Amino acid sequence: MALLDVQHLTQFFGGLRAVSDFNIQLEQGEIVGLIGTNGAGKTTVFNVITQNIVGRKTYQITQAGIARTFQNIRLFSKSSVIDNIKIAYHFRMSYGNTDAFLHTRKYWQGEQLVDDYAIDLLRLFHLEGHAEDVSGSLPYGAQRRLEIARALATKPKLLILDEPAAGMNPAEADELMEMIHWLRDKFDLTILLIEHQMRVVMGVCERIKVMDFGETICEGVPEYIRNDPRVCEAYLGKGA
Amino acid sequence: MTFLRTHRTLATVIAFVLAYVIIKVLSILPLNNGDPLLNAYYIQLIMLAGINIVMTVSLGMVNGFTGQFSIGHAGFMAVGAYTSAMITTVWLHTSTANPWVGYPVFIVAILAGGLLAAAAGYLVGAPSLRLKGDYLAIVTLSANELIRTVIRVTEVLGGPRGLGGIPKFTTLEIVFVFAVVSVVLMRNYLFSSHGRSMKAVRDSEIAAESTGINTTRQKVFVFVFSAFFAGVSGGVFAHLLQFIHPDNFSFMKSLEYLIYLYVGGSTSISGAIVGPAIFTLLPELMRGLQKWRLVIYPLILILTMIFRTEGIMGLKEFSFILIPQHQRKEVSA
Repeated sequence: MALLDVQHLTQFFGGLRAVSDFNIQLEQGEIVGLIGTNGAGKTTVFNVITQNIVGRKTYQITQAGIARTFQNIRLFSKSSVIDNIKIAYHFRMSYGNTDAFLHTRKYWQGEQLVDDYAIDLLRLFHLEGHAEDVSGSLPYGAQRRLEIARALATKPKLLILDEPAAGMNPAEADELMEMIHWLRDKFDLTILLIEHQMRVVMGVCERIKVMDFGETICEGVPEYIRNDPRVCEAYLGKGA
Repeated sequence: MTFLRTHRTLATVIAFVLAYVIIKVLSILPLNNGDPLLNAYYIQLIMLAGINIVMTVSLGMVNGFTGQFSIGHAGFMAVGAYTSAMITTVWLHTSTANPWVGYPVFIVAILAGGLLAAAAGYLVGAPSLRLKGDYLAIVTLSANELIRTVIRVTEVLGGPRGLGGIPKFTTLEIVFVFAVVSVVLMRNYLFSSHGRSMKAVRDSEIAAESTGINTTRQKVFVFVFSAFFAGVSGGVFAHLLQFIHPDNFSFMKSLEYLIYLYVGGSTSISGAIVGPAIFTLLPELMRGLQKWRLVIYPLILILTMIFRTEGIMGLKEFSFILIPQHQRKEVSA
């Protein structure tokens, strides 16, 4: 039984077929990459999975266990680092509106619980020293880590990373690759990622799907993808 | 002091009681050539300031902390004012003679006014908050004028003549109790998981949705309780002035609250207290300047917005408003 099973996904934007007949099965514990040139439809696939499953709202999809990060980081930039984590915990919060207005015992218990949880999570990402800082003021790499930590605070089964290595130098990208493996093992996750840096994709993914103009052109282990003529053609053009 | 650090409601209450005591003393001690410094007129002004504080803090919940743009807050005030006035004046003929009957009816009346205003808030907010963007501004502006116009043409409510003969229940004490209860409730809500989601919606609605927050529900709930407090403020207001007129609640009135909020600091409860407090009393304090005060007042507004773009308080809060962070146990890594 696959963790996520997408079949015959097609998305139109007006007359443009952005994605056509996309299929993917993710097994528990896999790290799968989705690559392709600009405009190939990767982000559209992501958005459909995380925002557009028929009959479900975005927040319900997250509550069901699919969490994501964004290509251009979207933190709650005016809130503190620890509040970013606590916000992701909100839908699990044990107290309701009345407790919030009256600051009942239940409120204090809930706050204590979420504070402990959030600081523990921050510690894992080496962000505990910044807990009270405004998240928008963090350095870029730390913001990336915080966004991943925030996604994990929703306790997902499937983590979807949209270009996690964007804007990273090789050293930072190496760290990221290590972190992705560590995340999978530590949090018992399945990970799907879009990435442009081939070194990262080839280094971290166990299985890769290649898209071009909305079509899936190739799928397999990194070694296979690397040597596939269709992939070379998509990236470099015919006759290259 | 450690006790005050953990009992934040008490800290806020103490701050308000101190303010009350100072005002009360100044209204009794004959410091001004045998007269008290604060005469009945000033006391009335201070009561209006108190009502304006609750209006502004509740508006700040929607505009400042949830990042929506509501510009018809006076409409909900009108709903509360007329509802409560109808209950005490027309239906129950409550007179002030017997406080044992009067005050319970008054309290029920203002709460009923708040609930009806909340219902109106739901009708306005539920459809328009589902949409992203500036629809709420148009809808609240229209709702404000709609409510005012409906009152104008409704004969039972006094129509264009206004509604008079409302018993005077609102005293300085009532205003203080009302203000402190309202501010504490809204402050508590803001310093909770729900308050954090409000700010998340403001910072990035897309990210808030994708962290599992039902943003529409959160926005509608805040809008509804904001309308509730506006409604109750309207009730307290009506029983202070004893005469209400539809034009008391026009868009210009809503605009006043927006000015109080943004000058005070929209992302700070303290700002929403300081703004109306200063700008309700300021025109009076400038009385000596005579007609020049109409020049000075807007000038002060402009200068404030130039030199303090985020309002007088910015992001800061008075210490009696803040809920301190939890004491964390130090854990060695």
